[in-house]
Amino acid sequence: MPEAAGRPPEEEADATVREALPNALYRVELASGSKGVVVAHVAGDSSLLRLRPGDPVVVELAAYDAGRGRIVRRR
Amino acid sequence: MSIQKSWSELLTMARACRIVVETLDLLEAAAQPGVTTKELDRVAREAIEKAGARPAFLGYRDYPATLCISVNEEIVHGIPGPKKLQDGDIVGLDLGCIVDGFYGDAARTVAVGRASAEAERLMKVTREALFAGIEMCHPGKRVGDIGHAVQVHAESFGYSVVKDFVGHGIGTSLHEEPQVPNYGPAGRRERLVPGMCLAIEPMVNVGRPEVEVLADGWTAVTRDGSLSAHFELSVAVTEFGPWILSDPYPYAREEVANA
Repeated sequence: MPEAAGRPPEEEADATVREALPNALYRVELASGSKGVVVAHVAGDSSLLRLRPGDPVVVELAAYDAGRGRIVRRR
Repeated sequence: MSIQKSWSELLTMARACRIVVETLDLLEAAAQPGVTTKELDRVAREAIEKAGARPAFLGYRDYPATLCISVNEEIVHGIPGPKKLQDGDIVGLDLGCIVDGFYGDAARTVAVGRASAEAERLMKVTREALFAGIEMCHPGKRVGDIGHAVQVHAESFGYSVVKDFVGHGIGTSLHEEPQVPNYGPAGRRERLVPGMCLAIEPMVNVGRPEVEVLADGWTAVTRDGSLSAHFELSVAVTEFGPWILSDPYPYAREEVANA
């Protein structure tokens, strides 16, 4: 049985922005709580400019590093 | 890099692959005009369970059957159902089983009754492309060499290879690292080492390579509706070259001692 080509989709999670960091990085807190806080960069969508602390977002969690992710859209 | 298997693990893989290929032989004989695809699925399941193995696809990502059966313009992942096979159809049969925790996976495309000359040629070329890929399975070669050999062979007959689905490493799960595309430049991707097991599976279309997945979430068809064929074997890389795991070990006894 052939496999679909390419990487499998990343795991997505609801989160809230906590703090803006330099270089378009943000510290976000996951809604599920257990995994806590991750550092996330934004995924090139202009609606993601000027995120402010408290904004609800969706992050993709990196498979290789539990502390990292990317913000894919607002929630 | 894929997980390297020990000699005893390879022997278990070989048992699983043997059961798959023997079941495919049964299915090939049973694929006659008027038979439903559901009926073939039942034959596959009974044969695998009788051989003391478990179906590998049933329940994999919620796949509902033992067999993938892909008729004519269907490329792969066709779900068995009430559809009756007709004289002149070409039918992709893709099957996997589990023996003692190890997976075997193989596929072939067969003609129902008498197929057209074009269909026969497509099946012949796809099968040859599979063996061109298997020929590359020597230590020190790379995964890209396999895909390159497959692509060059298929395209030299004016056909196209499917890029949206790929072969895969195989062992204690159905899909392991690395992915094995059926296209691309030679000399790239992972290096082959002895003990690696790969399921090599060219999918070749008469027309264009684009794929469409139907609403059932599984069945992949050619977007232009052209015929498609699919052949697959599970192969181990050994010190001495490729071992098609459903065949007896092909190298001399003295060599086995060192493997």
